[in-house]
Amino acid sequence: MNYDVIVIGGGIAGLTAGIRCAGAGLSTALVSGGMSALHFSSGCVDVLGAQADGRLIRSPFEALPDFLAKRPSHPYARVGAESLTAALAFFKEEVEKAGLTYCDNGAQNHFHVTALGRTKATYLSPEGVFSDLVKKTFETRKRLSILNFAGFRDFHPALAAVNLRKNSLFAGWRIRTGVLTLPPAAPAGKNPRELRSIDIARIFDTESRIEDVAAQLKARAAEADIVALPAFLGVSARRGAEKRLAELSGKLVYEVPTLPPSILGMRLDDALKSRFAAEGGVFIAGDRVTGGRMEGGRLLSVNTRHGGGAELSARFFVLATGSFFSGGLSSRVDEVSEPVLGLAVDRTLPRSTWYAPRFLDPASHPFLSFGVSTNETLNPADASGREVKNLFCAGAVLSGYNPVREGSGSGVAIATGYFAAGRIMALSRQPLS
Amino acid sequence: MIDLENISFDHCLKCTVCTAYCPVARVTPLYPGPKASGPDTERLRIKNPELVDETLFYCTNCKRCEIVCPSDVKIADIIQAARHRYASGSIRPRDFFMSRTDLAGSLATKAARLVNALTGTPPVKWGMDAVFGISSSMDMPRYASGAFRTKFRKRADEQARFEKSLVYFTGCYVNYFDHELGNAVVKSVNALGWGVALSDEKCCGVPLIANGYIGKAKKNAIHNVEALKKAAGPGRPIVVSSSSCAYALVNEYPNILSVDNGKVAPRIRFISRFICEELAAGAAPALSPLALKVAYHAPCHLSRVGGAVHTVELLRRIPGLSLTLLPSECCGLSGTYGYKKEYAKIARDVGERLFDQIAEAAPDIVVTDCETCKWQIEAHSPYKVVHPVTLFARALGEG
Repeated sequence: MNYDVIVIGGGIAGLTAGIRCAGAGLSTALVSGGMSALHFSSGCVDVLGAQADGRLIRSPFEALPDFLAKRPSHPYARVGAESLTAALAFFKEEVEKAGLTYCDNGAQNHFHVTALGRTKATYLSPEGVFSDLVKKTFETRKRLSILNFAGFRDFHPALAAVNLRKNSLFAGWRIRTGVLTLPPAAPAGKNPRELRSIDIARIFDTESRIEDVAAQLKARAAEADIVALPAFLGVSARRGAEKRLAELSGKLVYEVPTLPPSILGMRLDDALKSRFAAEGGVFIAGDRVTGGRMEGGRLLSVNTRHGGGAELSARFFVLATGSFFSGGLSSRVDEVSEPVLGLAVDRTLPRSTWYAPRFLDPASHPFLSFGVSTNETLNPADASGREVKNLFCAGAVLSGYNPVREGSGSGVAIATGYFAAGRIMALSRQPLS
Repeated sequence: MIDLENISFDHCLKCTVCTAYCPVARVTPLYPGPKASGPDTERLRIKNPELVDETLFYCTNCKRCEIVCPSDVKIADIIQAARHRYASGSIRPRDFFMSRTDLAGSLATKAARLVNALTGTPPVKWGMDAVFGISSSMDMPRYASGAFRTKFRKRADEQARFEKSLVYFTGCYVNYFDHELGNAVVKSVNALGWGVALSDEKCCGVPLIANGYIGKAKKNAIHNVEALKKAAGPGRPIVVSSSSCAYALVNEYPNILSVDNGKVAPRIRFISRFICEELAAGAAPALSPLALKVAYHAPCHLSRVGGAVHTVELLRRIPGLSLTLLPSECCGLSGTYGYKKEYAKIARDVGERLFDQIAEAAPDIVVTDCETCKWQIEAHSPYKVVHPVTLFARALGEG
């Protein structure tokens, strides 16, 4: 099979690249082995949240020039601030087309609240987490109820409340906790299921229980203006239920992402995939790229596990396989490698330099910055050091940044995916050299 | 004993992504979901085989858990293996006959008209429901008159005229139910310059595995591997037109039945992939336009190996065809599962989203590679369903 573009990896970076390429009229296939890290994410887009010393960043675009001056090989330095801005606008437009509204706070970061009651800086959030309305309500109303669904063990309102009360952003707030009940899913004694986020979300995939929940909200959070709940309003991007719940209850309902699978992340995954399909992209799930054939500084084709030796060929490729967790990077006792194509990686040796001494070290761990090294245009080099001109790397497989410490993971993914697609679009207009 | 061949359950991070996308878990709270039934309880079963419980049988083996698993755990294989290792096979007459496709098919095709007339009447449907537990909400598939493979013998000379030839594994569906598809495959393959030979095949084993007749499934598997080796010799390709047969021949023989298929598996191609590879290699048969609006449903077992991409490509090659790709959903039937009275409602509920999407696409016709998806869609929607190769052959025109 032959395409203009093959994207390896179906996470936020790969999908961004895929949507843009397919939208530009390039025949695009995306090979995705298993669901992506979006299922483990907050669903928010972080651009740049903290300096290396941990100081919070209020305006990422103001902080960027100084930040990058010290980091010339940072992915943001490769793509440039203009590309980053354009990429975020592209992302917002695309998910909007799929029915998900993402909001920013002008040029400033805003915060979202985690299941543990921590506030985290981020740049773009689904409108249930941040919008002008959310902002205004937080600024003017200071009465919050944190509620849980009875029997849901992945969220603990009291724990979240304790942490929020210590937070200066919530000084002077009145924070209460409480419980909502759902009708039992199965007859008593016959329910073999642990109640997980997805089970609650499924109940709200239809609007049948909205009235009941609205009534419970009014009764159990009578004095609150804002009600925080574990994310529960279904997976497919629908605004109807949210709006109706707000109208019926008179409260601002704030969804908190909980342990995987993250409902907010699944919604984003769903939206991006539906955009890719709508642009005519071919999504190949259930298979994994196992290797590729290089010749003269070009990647000609890739093999897949179930391809029986047959090749998928393309003029251009995007490698967006993620970091260690997603299988984009792999480590042995004494080495770090890129397992799919054997590309050159940036890492330090020996192994003792990979980790910080403390697990939750504020400076994070050095290994999180490891990854494929690329040139200015995100082209990697093969094992012999030769640049691969028609292959572009995007997202967490890249080296040169620490997404955990910086709070930059999804921003880098979107920016580099967008940039890679842009390079491909420009080059595809030129004849094959 | 721990099976060192499949300790993939140890890679499970407990992220619950599999359960989040499990079509059965979505529609019934009675199924614990693939994470709990697979990797979670496998640990317990290894310690104590008595910890097997009947909720394992809610699994339809659609493999969607394996498609979505970020950690590459063979979840559905673990569940199937557990069913066979620890729970005894079904002794119900219904399960016996529904899984003996060769036996039922060779009898029924001798008196197809009578059988079809009988199984279509309300009293018989009611009786099968009440006595055997075969849901009356499903229509029984209609048998063809005679067997495709028997009829095909007469065409051996005509096929021998081609310079190169391949082996076609027809599966029970073409042999006993849909000769038109068999003829379409032969016509398409002929148009690409290949003659067709058949092997001495038996049922691939999918319904046997699903109903717990693992011993019989293994016998069939060993027989089929030998038959394909003999028919295909050292180098001929093998094509399959049923996506579930193909999945079984390539993947389930080694993974579930422990049958070594190494000599033939690398040469087995699902038919749409074979055609696409031939077209990519330069074959250019004349295709006349088909002015049809079609909606394509990718079957689970084809999606499991990333194979739907070839059917999409094949359909895109047919001029005039207006193609809607339906979002990937399970139809719910899963072979014999949805015919069983106790599971029929679950099967129908699983398929509801697909039926809605088909209605929204409002095509002239639905296309899918799997015969049981076809039966399910035709039972629960007003649409007619065809195999992609049937359309391809139609585009090839007369001759």
